[in-house]
Amino acid sequence: MNRSSLPASIFLVLLIAGGGIFWLAGNAASAPSQPSQPSQDEQEARAILLEIDDLWRATSSQGRVRMEVKTANYTRTMLMDIWSKGKDKSLVRIVSPLKEKDTASLKTGNTMYTYLPKTDRTIRLTSSMMMSAWMGSHFTNDDLVKESRLAEDYDPRISFKGKRDGKEVIEFTLLPHPDAAVVWGRIVMSVTAHGHLPLLATYYDEDNVLARTIYFSEVKNMGGRLLPALLKVVPTDKPGEYTELIYEAMRFDLDLPDTLFSLLELRRR
Amino acid sequence: MQILFFALRNFNRARTRTWITVGAMAFACAIMIFYASLLEGWLAGMEKNAVGMDLGEFQIHARGFRADPDLYKRIGGEENVLAQLGRQGFVAAPRLYASGLAAAGNASSGIELRGVDLAREPLVTALNAHVWRGQWLAQEDQAGVVVGRKLARILGLGVGDEVVVVAQAADGSTANELFRVRGILKSVAEGVDRSGFLMPSATFRRMMIVPHGVHQIVVKRQIPAEDLNRATTRLARLLPNHEVRNWRQLQPVLARLFEMSDISLVIMLLITYAAVGILTLNALLMSVFERIPEFGVMKALGFSPWGLFAMIVAESMFQVTVAAFLALAVGLPLSLYFSSHPIDFSGFVQSSSTIAGVALDAKWYCVVTMNSVVLPILFLYLVAGLAILYPALKAAMLKPLAAIHHR
Repeated sequence: MNRSSLPASIFLVLLIAGGGIFWLAGNAASAPSQPSQPSQDEQEARAILLEIDDLWRATSSQGRVRMEVKTANYTRTMLMDIWSKGKDKSLVRIVSPLKEKDTASLKTGNTMYTYLPKTDRTIRLTSSMMMSAWMGSHFTNDDLVKESRLAEDYDPRISFKGKRDGKEVIEFTLLPHPDAAVVWGRIVMSVTAHGHLPLLATYYDEDNVLARTIYFSEVKNMGGRLLPALLKVVPTDKPGEYTELIYEAMRFDLDLPDTLFSLLELRRR
Repeated sequence: MQILFFALRNFNRARTRTWITVGAMAFACAIMIFYASLLEGWLAGMEKNAVGMDLGEFQIHARGFRADPDLYKRIGGEENVLAQLGRQGFVAAPRLYASGLAAAGNASSGIELRGVDLAREPLVTALNAHVWRGQWLAQEDQAGVVVGRKLARILGLGVGDEVVVVAQAADGSTANELFRVRGILKSVAEGVDRSGFLMPSATFRRMMIVPHGVHQIVVKRQIPAEDLNRATTRLARLLPNHEVRNWRQLQPVLARLFEMSDISLVIMLLITYAAVGILTLNALLMSVFERIPEFGVMKALGFSPWGLFAMIVAESMFQVTVAAFLALAVGLPLSLYFSSHPIDFSGFVQSSSTIAGVALDAKWYCVVTMNSVVLPILFLYLVAGLAILYPALKAAMLKPLAAIHHR
């Protein structure tokens, strides 16, 4: 993962799982047990993360998302339909612009496929393509695939609790395991103390320099859940550039068939 | 004159000894001419593959492109730039680059898309003649692409097969297109072999939505004799807003390798001639010691020490001259033969072997140059000249009476 990529989780969380920050929860649930007794602080961090998990996780989701990308060279808006089931299955299908309509990305486990309607071909993305921008945004293909890596590679702990900008917040700091092959040196994420809604996530590189920031805002009730409907990714090294994800509609806990996440279904127009 | 006469006469006396000496020197010199031609051929082959196939003699980029290749870092007003280069006596061809993914069947691989100007590219490189299977790109076949050899192997592609390409176009959209493999290149250079995906520039522009500008202009001198550095400076002055690099700057490892090869040729010559020098020294010493009483008589008759010295040196120089002619008569035709009938190593060398990222040709040609012929001959004169000094000086300092009675 390079500096310009975004760990999957946040993206997947909000884009695919419909707002659940289950990566944090996943981290809490699946983090390897420490040899030493975890401190009270760590225990509390994990407890809150589990709570967030319970609060946000959905068994499945379906929705419509608008993505706005602004770079130095182009500005584009895309409308996408999204589906997800569990942590491992997700499908994104482009609705507009017309040129890319029906282009679809399917993620099953750690594999990602893209269906290209123009050529009527489905291709499996290899590692060499993982660092490329996904649909011209500030997300990489890798972001969509490596959802569970963060949980394996980082340890969460509470780094701040209290009032900030007039809001009661809890701040988590994720530090990578010493032997983890990751690009981020540190990830700091703030959530509201009440409701545990994400507010801000900052990503630092190995030299502890800020690489990107994700802002969560426009909290709305969607599909019976309170979610931030706007997610804005701002890369630090590209001033003026950003990608915005705007959740237009979300539904949760639907009975989605497994066949929806198949290669056959990917080609359906 | 008298000295030359004596020297010539001596050359024809003890014939066996003379011809053994001459034969040894001629043999070594002929081998060295052949070896030097082979090495020149190897270097020329490498240079041809590196410079003539892909790199070009010079490359022009927009500032910053080389450090961080980017679809948007283009040279604008390329028609003007090309015309300007033409007026200054350069031949030039523009290229377009982008990265993407190619997929065929279940295999996929990262590729470097290259838009080629079909009219101009053959003027600066011989890539169009370096096709292994199938054919080179054609204007009338816009969906026909030429791919690198390793890439074809990775994707399992043969001529006529379909291949899908996905890339991010300049407007941020997902460019995807279905192509047909028109040709597969021979081994060119690591990068091209592994990820080269060549298409007509018009196809590239349409697919990647790049209506204007080019990423690279490959330039060649019209007068090959023009000094590389001087031509680089001339180009840099001509295009002050762009990055101008010659192939030595673009491939410093390769340039260094070529320099090292020149040095290694000289070292090999020195080693071989050190051996020849000892042989020559031995033969000449013998010929001097055998004739000590004769030299004593000559001195007693009034031959000066320096006259004797000059006679012996002249005698050996005659021998060297004859040896040089013999070496030319053997070494030159041998080298010329192998310049048209290459030594084929394809059974031993992998087709994709590379050095410093440049493909090695499995067929090894000799290239006969001024250097490969003159250098061994000059070395022969030098070594023989040094080897004869001791026996010649020894003869010059003989005491006539003692020499006459020498047994």
